[in-house]
Amino acid sequence: MFSAAVRISAAGIRTAVRSRPCFTAPLAVRCYSHAKPETDEEFDARWVTYFSKPDIDAWELRKGMNTLIGYDLVPEPKILDSALRACRRLNDLASAIRILEAVRDKSGPHKDIYPYVIQELQPTLRELGISTPEELGLDKL
Amino acid sequence: MSLPKPVMRGLLAKRLRFHLPIAFTLSLIVAAAFKFTVTEPRKQAYADFYKQYDAMKEFNAMREAGIFESVRPSGE
Repeated sequence: MFSAAVRISAAGIRTAVRSRPCFTAPLAVRCYSHAKPETDEEFDARWVTYFSKPDIDAWELRKGMNTLIGYDLVPEPKILDSALRACRRLNDLASAIRILEAVRDKSGPHKDIYPYVIQELQPTLRELGISTPEELGLDKL
Repeated sequence: MSLPKPVMRGLLAKRLRFHLPIAFTLSLIVAAAFKFTVTEPRKQAYADFYKQYDAMKEFNAMREAGIFESVRPSGE
């Protein structure tokens, strides 16, 4: 939240001076660093790689997911696919379903995001045998 | 039936960019409104009261009412 506010105030003050990626990057990019801001594709690729580690352990999975959920974005389907496969390697069905619940929560009021993500993940969900929270009735209070 | 890809990044930033200026402006307006409808009239009321305030007259009225212990009413 604070990083988003910092980014907006920074962008508002410095848009004339600094480059565009500073304004649209999802992370707390410090506008006075000379490092090239990471593009969305690089960000996604980094996270796909993180979850693709063959011997990822349960802690790393949880840490990765918690960090990812902290960002101001809904994870791309390809990142989620990599995370779900990591859950499969760890025999962790509960985390797999929890990831889907987290995507729904992250979308907040934007109700079009979750159906899209589920649509994109359908092949993976079928292949890995993961039920959605809706199929299990876990979306009702 | 295939759903188009929605915007998935920067949703909080977009919301804040919209709501924060409004929040700050509204807060300032409320503060200004309170200042000019409550605190300024109150300060003026005190100033008006004390402009014509005669401390000795009020003291003597209290003295005659017998509420002091250090001075008795003038009759006694």
